[in-house]
Amino acid sequence: MPAAAPQPHPFATLDTAAAARALSQLAPGDPDAGGEDGADDWADAFFERVEEVELPADGAAPGARLRREEGLALRLVRGGRTWLAARDEIAPEAFSDALRQVARVLPSAFYPEPRLDVAPWSAVGGTGDPAGLDRMAELPFAVARAIRARHVAFPVRLSVRRHRRHVQVVGPRWVPEPESERFFSLRADLPWGRWGTLVPEPPSDSGADPEAALAAAAEEVAEALVERFRSRHAASPEPRRDAVVVLGPQATAVFLHEAVAHALEADTLGLGGRPEAAVGVPLGGPALSVLDDPGSAPLSVRRRSDDEGVAVARRWLIRDGAVAQPLADRRWARGSEVLLPGAGRRASRHEPPGPRSSHLELLSGDGEADLVAGAEGGFLVSQVARGALDPLTGRFVLEVPCARRLRHGTPAEPVGPFRIVGTVAGLLSRVAAVGSEARSAGAGWCAKDGRLLPVWATTPALRLEGVEVVA
Amino acid sequence: MSTAPAAERRAALDAVLEALAVHGLPSAEIYAKRGRARVIEETPGGVTVSYHREEGWAARAGDDRRSLFAAATGAPSPDGPGGGGWPEADGEALVLADPGGSPGLFDEPGEGWREPPDLDAALIGEREAAGLLATLRGELSAELPRARLLRARLSDGASEWEIASRVAGTPGVAAGARGRAAIVRLEAVLEEGGKSGARPSAATLEIALRQASAVDPRALARRLADRLSVAAQGTAPDHDRAVALLAPAVGTRLLAALSPLFFGDAAGERAEALEDRDGRLASDAVTVVDDARLPGGVLDAPIDGEGSPTAPATLVAAGVRRPPLVPRSAPRRSRDGRGARRWACMRRPGWRDLPAPGPSHLYLAPSADVGVGEMLRDVARGYYLIDLDGSPRVDLAADRVSLPVVGFRIEGGAATGPLAGATVESGLGALLRRIETAARDLTFFPLAGGMVGAPTLRVGAVEIRRR
Repeated sequence: MPAAAPQPHPFATLDTAAAARALSQLAPGDPDAGGEDGADDWADAFFERVEEVELPADGAAPGARLRREEGLALRLVRGGRTWLAARDEIAPEAFSDALRQVARVLPSAFYPEPRLDVAPWSAVGGTGDPAGLDRMAELPFAVARAIRARHVAFPVRLSVRRHRRHVQVVGPRWVPEPESERFFSLRADLPWGRWGTLVPEPPSDSGADPEAALAAAAEEVAEALVERFRSRHAASPEPRRDAVVVLGPQATAVFLHEAVAHALEADTLGLGGRPEAAVGVPLGGPALSVLDDPGSAPLSVRRRSDDEGVAVARRWLIRDGAVAQPLADRRWARGSEVLLPGAGRRASRHEPPGPRSSHLELLSGDGEADLVAGAEGGFLVSQVARGALDPLTGRFVLEVPCARRLRHGTPAEPVGPFRIVGTVAGLLSRVAAVGSEARSAGAGWCAKDGRLLPVWATTPALRLEGVEVVA
Repeated sequence: MSTAPAAERRAALDAVLEALAVHGLPSAEIYAKRGRARVIEETPGGVTVSYHREEGWAARAGDDRRSLFAAATGAPSPDGPGGGGWPEADGEALVLADPGGSPGLFDEPGEGWREPPDLDAALIGEREAAGLLATLRGELSAELPRARLLRARLSDGASEWEIASRVAGTPGVAAGARGRAAIVRLEAVLEEGGKSGARPSAATLEIALRQASAVDPRALARRLADRLSVAAQGTAPDHDRAVALLAPAVGTRLLAALSPLFFGDAAGERAEALEDRDGRLASDAVTVVDDARLPGGVLDAPIDGEGSPTAPATLVAAGVRRPPLVPRSAPRRSRDGRGARRWACMRRPGWRDLPAPGPSHLYLAPSADVGVGEMLRDVARGYYLIDLDGSPRVDLAADRVSLPVVGFRIEGGAATGPLAGATVESGLGALLRRIETAARDLTFFPLAGGMVGAPTLRVGAVEIRRR
């Protein structure tokens, strides 16, 4: 199937210089952009365009679903207070109206109306990217074939969505490159539960074979669904406090997202005091090094700057078992000598940015450890349904929908649902070994505070010893 | 945001319907919504004041073989979402709500419905909102000096929406409505220590009202303080079986978990599995109603998400289940045999979302002649469960419910100590059939995609365990 030519960024024609000039009337000396000495205010504009194409399961009505939205948000931060005005259109009047609103001036006050030309939406299934849509439609069939190839059959309803998001941030004195994210989300409804994952859209200009990438994704999805099927009648394990649990890469990604990323977000840390106080605190053994690096995420969701326009960095969250650099956005990093911005993410123009992870990496182990050796009676956990962290108590729960018992160094009979419970510090201190082969895994939706964000990870497997499991 | 008068907006919707007909889709429905909101959020990271103007629309269209859904920001466009054309219809046929019987377009309220007087009231101002939260913070610390409001979010919004449709080329519904809603979400903590050496505790409270100006900060502070102090000092019995009073915060969570028994395709089957041998779902003290026109209700509206005229529906009458509700657009082939009622029960959380059946104001009917005080006095030994401190686990298929609760021990009609770290464990149907009395204090919370209300309930022989 021929790859479509790359489309120009929809915000390529935006008059960002004019928008920057208008913003400079609000906050002329943005300190993060090398502005005037002593300036404490900043302002920015956020332009967003989002498209979602959905193919429902089994062709249910309505058959083809398309959602398109675009809009802008203006923000002024002054003395610890933030004013934000959001609109569902990108137009000069909307911009200047929002500007007046965050400046809290009368409607009669004059602000310039910058020209805000954006590219027209392309036709869906027409000249836009027919190959991409065909690949998307193929994904459920590829999963169904992969399930059949495992000689099992069970009812499953698969729906798939294609997500495309384009953003442009503009500050009074800096304009980063526009950013784009392209990925698929897949949801499977089974009689015994729901399962979902995210798959990066194979980029048309990367030289990679998009069909091969989607076939590999279909195999992974099928593997997970078949495991759910095979364990559907399996009994939950007896509660115990000394279990050995080997988390596969997908399960490790969810574990790290909940136990490390959320725990080290500046706003989470801020609930209990100064986020900076966490730096240097031991968290996990010396084998544990975890990073957040949006710049090494899969190509089609890779970022150079965050949703505040700040350049992203390869950020060590935990280095050799100690907290190194919590996740922070501009607001939390302002005035701090320790916190660095670059992890600001927005669920939409209608939400203020917050510090969040984008792409977690767990550094691989030394290649010598056999993670299942000596784990007799332990559990091999390939998938985790969800995790939950209580930020005030550090209490942590990982919900495991199914697993395999480990016997004689190999995965044996299926095990029914159970939970891994403990505290973040307690569970991370139980990390006994890290696998040697990291791979892209565990992508999913993060819904902290009801703000939905896609998150990605590259991790090896992980062995925990002496953890508490409950049915 | 579009400020066009009603006639222009109607013409815009008709233009889209016409364009879809030209596109070969004779059945179509257009939904357009505009809204504005002011939000103030206080967190340890600072204060954020935001102003939102939202405008979007959605179309469902099809014929007897295929269908599509398209949604976009801005005003409805005959050129498709974003002006980029319409997606190719695919999949199955589209069924729309029966035409006729809907209220007039936009400014003519439906028969028997009176537009609430507060729709044009101004949104809460920045200073007023900040003052309200400051009062709340002060009241909380007066009630409990070691309590701290961690996060507070107050939003006040107004919206309006219209729906127009054509069914197989003939005019369908043409209706509109307006709404107001304010939502307050609070998270507070109690630091450990104090004279009693209490544990640290946390509490979350979310309420919805029609207007932010109706928020009572003192009442909210008292509720948070009760929750925090009980969770900090309470203990739980290993195992007990006693009378329990379920406060509205507990009863509403239980009722919200039951909403799949009342709405949609498989509701009847799910509910049947919970009934006893006499076909009773609950005790005769239980009457459940869903009323989209509840006077003063946050979601009070003359039409549902498909433009059909709303009306109250009794779902459980004195413990006996009535037929569940399916939307007026539900295919007849799948509904008539099961005895479900076609009702205006479609909800649209936002313009991006497909309409789905669900509750508007779903509530357990109160008893006007029973006060909470006298209900308490009548408890010789038992528990007053004031809130949940975790997510309830409700398994409709397995007929099991597990509610993590906090509250008070009651002896001789008076509170004798706080209860925390406890779980109510029960069969779901059995719990519903042990409800003995409902009080008069009907209170609503935003749950299950709508508003869910319950009064304080007295339940006999509830099993309580330590977590």
